[in-house]
Amino acid sequence: MNWMMGKERRPALLMLALAAAVCLWASRDFLAMRERDRVFPAPGFRVEMLSSYLPDLKGTGMDTEVYVQEGPEKGGTVFVLGGTHPNEPAGYLAAVLLVENAKVRRGRLMVVPFGNASGFTHNQPQEASPNRLTFQLDDGSMRTFRYGSRDVSPLVMWPVPDVYVHKPSGQSLSGNESRNLNRSYPGDPDGSPAERLGFAIMELLRREEVSVAFDLHEASPEYPVVDAIVAHEKGMEVAAAAAMDLKLEGIEMRLEPSPKNLRGLSHREWGDGTGAVPFLIETANPSQGRLRGRTDERLVKTGLDKAYLKASSLGRLFVPYDQGGKPLDERVGRQLATLSALVSAFSMFDQDRGVEIRGIPSYQDVMSRGIGHFLRSGR
Amino acid sequence: MTWIYMGLVALVLFLVVDRCLRDRDPMTQATAAMVAIPLVLRLLRVK
Repeated sequence: MNWMMGKERRPALLMLALAAAVCLWASRDFLAMRERDRVFPAPGFRVEMLSSYLPDLKGTGMDTEVYVQEGPEKGGTVFVLGGTHPNEPAGYLAAVLLVENAKVRRGRLMVVPFGNASGFTHNQPQEASPNRLTFQLDDGSMRTFRYGSRDVSPLVMWPVPDVYVHKPSGQSLSGNESRNLNRSYPGDPDGSPAERLGFAIMELLRREEVSVAFDLHEASPEYPVVDAIVAHEKGMEVAAAAAMDLKLEGIEMRLEPSPKNLRGLSHREWGDGTGAVPFLIETANPSQGRLRGRTDERLVKTGLDKAYLKASSLGRLFVPYDQGGKPLDERVGRQLATLSALVSAFSMFDQDRGVEIRGIPSYQDVMSRGIGHFLRSGR
Repeated sequence: MTWIYMGLVALVLFLVVDRCLRDRDPMTQATAAMVAIPLVLRLLRVK
């Protein structure tokens, strides 16, 4: 070892002290991301934990809340999963609004707003995303929600293999997909953290005999499957009926069949491995796209970016896009309207397992009053 | 497997700090100090 001595060493020590200061400053931000977002459930909800379905999850960063409300009349069970990808805010915010506003009249509603709990504790590297989104409520108070990463936290799951092999099918994907909850189904109780999480959700669907299940997502506007319902073949008629109802309301949602050969995704494995009829809802989020510029809270909330205006004028997007952008209010309203239409259509097709939920904010209401109006105050 | 990787992180961190303290070039020192940051955060299981 030939370290410099005395004065010669001072610049190096200064550099290392600066690095230590940066570590401290960054740690404060990163550790703050572990504080869970608060949810104030509407009357009638009880809170359970996902670890009830796989005890190994208890005490890990993967366990998450399951909000359950049963109606006075018997019926089926609706399951809603938000936050599979914590960088797709319309998905988890729609689930939060459901928990804070729903009143079940028939059947049962189960909601997991933050499905990939550890994904909320970190950001996607090199994406420069904001850490949080803030909403003003009608009483002037503020509510914040984290903007996380698509993947299970590397602190929970690291290292990852170069190639991810989906065990039941042998399908090979890029190694980083091994941390993607929506490639992990049907999961494995003894597998990786993502596979264990996937298994716990499948187990919930099986044990609770869920009738209809939703996985709420967003994707970039240049991706073909946006403003879309992805339906398993056993739910295709229901999805078609719902899409027509939505069209009558002026809400365009394209209908996409779940590919039979793309394995590990909720809309495929939930349908194949449980009695549930699964649907994945996808809205267009410019703050996730490859064409975007500065990625801040404004972009997440307004969805307005000049590069997307240009792309739209060149016909490169799969959704209508203009100076109005793609506001988060619109995307959350679209998620909730689609979910409501699918539950109604399902209840019409399968009356024994039908579910009636009131109080879900309508598309127009969320658009005109904003998300903050439908969030409950913690005061 | 994770513990093997943590051991590798600790080893690389040691080598980076060692280089920072041995090298007389300010650019190399600054680079080594910056490289140490993510290694420290991972070793402490912060990020």
